Amino acid sequence: MAYLVQPDYVKYVCSCGQMKPITNLYFCRHCLKIRCGFCICHEVDSHYCANCLENMPSSEARLKKNRCSSCFDCPSCFHTLSTRATMVQPRQDPASGDAKVENKQPKKMYYLSCFNCRWTSRDVGIPDQPVASGGWPERVNPFANRFAQLMEYYKAIAQQEKQEKLDKERKKFAIRGNYITLTDKTGLTGAMARNRAGMPSSESTSSAIANFVLSQATEEVEELPDDYHSREVNLKMITTMPQRLASPEWQAQQVSRLQPIARPLSVKRSQRCRQCDHNLTKPEYNPGSIKFKIELLAFYHVPEVKIISYETIKPGVTSALLLKLTNPTAHEMQIQLIQPNEVPEIEEKEEPKNIEKSLEKSLNLEKDMSWKSVVERKPTLPSAIKVNNPELTFTLAQRDDAAEYDDDSHHDTNDIILWRKSNKLALRLQLTADENAKVGLPAVAVVALQYTYRNTVPPTSTQPRDHTLYTTVTIDLGIVSQ
Amino acid sequence: MSHNIKILPGATVCEDCTLEGDITIGGGTVIHPRVTIIAEGGPIIIAEYCIIEEYSTIIHKKSDKQESPPKALFIGAHNVFEVGCRLESIFGHIGENNIFECRSFVGVDVRIGSGCVVGAACCLTAQQVLVDNTVIWGSEHHIREALEKQPSQLLQLDFLSKVMPNYHRLRKPNVHKRQPSRQSTEPAK
Ligand SMILES: [Zn+2]
Ligand SMILES: [Zn+2]
Ligand SMILES: [Zn+2]
Ligand SMILES: [Zn+2]
Repeated sequence: MAYLVQPDYVKYVCSCGQMKPITNLYFCRHCLKIRCGFCICHEVDSHYCANCLENMPSSEARLKKNRCSSCFDCPSCFHTLSTRATMVQPRQDPASGDAKVENKQPKKMYYLSCFNCRWTSRDVGIPDQPVASGGWPERVNPFANRFAQLMEYYKAIAQQEKQEKLDKERKKFAIRGNYITLTDKTGLTGAMARNRAGMPSSESTSSAIANFVLSQATEEVEELPDDYHSREVNLKMITTMPQRLASPEWQAQQVSRLQPIARPLSVKRSQRCRQCDHNLTKPEYNPGSIKFKIELLAFYHVPEVKIISYETIKPGVTSALLLKLTNPTAHEMQIQLIQPNEVPEIEEKEEPKNIEKSLEKSLNLEKDMSWKSVVERKPTLPSAIKVNNPELTFTLAQRDDAAEYDDDSHHDTNDIILWRKSNKLALRLQLTADENAKVGLPAVAVVALQYTYRNTVPPTSTQPRDHTLYTTVTIDLGIVSQ
Repeated sequence: MSHNIKILPGATVCEDCTLEGDITIGGGTVIHPRVTIIAEGGPIIIAEYCIIEEYSTIIHKKSDKQESPPKALFIGAHNVFEVGCRLESIFGHIGENNIFECRSFVGVDVRIGSGCVVGAACCLTAQQVLVDNTVIWGSEHHIREALEKQPSQLLQLDFLSKVMPNYHRLRKPNVHKRQPSRQSTEPAK
């Protein structure tokens, strides 16, 4: 709970250099590294409507423009609209004078209503519907035609460019090796590329480009009405910018032209380590479930650091800091505090290139590692506050949900270890702030943990089970005071 | 303060509420427990078929320019005062079919027409007039105009007046056989 409602006092340094609280981090059990949302690959697993929990395959979602067909949002305040029922006495039809008795049955009619701002579909003159869901009149985008033309045109251009690139690549490989000719002859590459992009075959592309009509700018613009500047504005009658932008196709200017907005779909996404392509999280398919099939969160694998209390940081003064460490894993953990600059640099090793790799490249499938140079950076860690680490390796017991009920009998408490309780312990550390630390600036202490980790992934013969891992933590201690 | 509380037949008024001053409660109106109605600046007249929910407060405040005899605060029919709302209006008249949502606040300088909705936690303190069918909602007090009046709460009223006597002690109606109840207040002007 503290992680949800409080500022992030303790941040971990991700392997990409970002600093995030432990609850926002993942832990790849295959690379044994901390990952974060910034340096992993996000993939859409399934589309679903968060209101009615209906899920649909991505092709159907694309067809429906990623919107639910039965749920609507309020065009006025964007809250979800609810369907309300009313009993309506059907109007007497003068043409059929005889049928009186049967028609007098009150009929149930439905309209949409917002519980937040009390907007209703009747406000804009949408007729009530005889069925509870669906059947609401759909508005056609006035520029639908032009839109389709543009789509076709740009798809064709994308297709053309892809083709050109492919041709170039093929020429290059034709010189290097001959295994590529196999795929080349079958025409596999081109077809695959087209398939993947969801594009039509190459014949239609050239015609689509040729037939496209460019937009023409015109100097003649319709005159503004005479009373445009003098007319009194009734703010209740015109829409706000957010209301207009919520439906970009129509951008209704009058409140009376607002239409229910089909509810945008949400996605379930799985996340993947970019380095080793293993899943870090994978949600259950059922949209009603909030559980995960795979959930490699740092919170379950990396020792958790929390601040118990600290003394105010003053320049040149040594003060005390009480920390709580928790071992979340099911195995005993040896932890030692070290200085951040003692953390050894580990290069992520490149896998050796082999024939398969170059084949992958020819198919444009090879893993693109260029993201690394863009995403990764060295974090700048503040150094004004030095943590006087105790020369001590301490052992943290495994997590044991039953331990709560035990009486802890052995206590090896001393000057440094304040107390111990099952998989947790409290540490008393000494901090020395730099003489030159500027008063009023944030006081941030940096401490690195060296800890043992037992990997429970089914071991391959080459991999050891026990590892020594490192993580760097920044601790927010308020501001430097006088 | 003199206590002169008139409860017309058909009104459901819980005993556990604070009623001070000259108050008239119309038939069909339901007043939940823990409601506070204080008529210090003049009489309060609540018309038929209002719902006044728990912890709501209606005060007819004493003002500096007090007329004498004091003007009554007339609350029209079919108004709904949701839980914890507060109304301090000193203007003589509040229309019909208004909804004061939970924890809303309407200050002394606000005139209210009919069919208005003051959204949950909306706080109206500045001098203003809510024309008919105004809806105010959200923390930013967005204003819009509804096309028609809010649907009436007759079903809810029906249910409440049936259920409340089973669970609460009620105040008994103390005005009988006063047939044209509205007219008796009108000639006072
Ligand atoms: Zn990995
Ligand atoms: Zn990262
Ligand atoms: Zn839906
Ligand atoms: Zn709304």
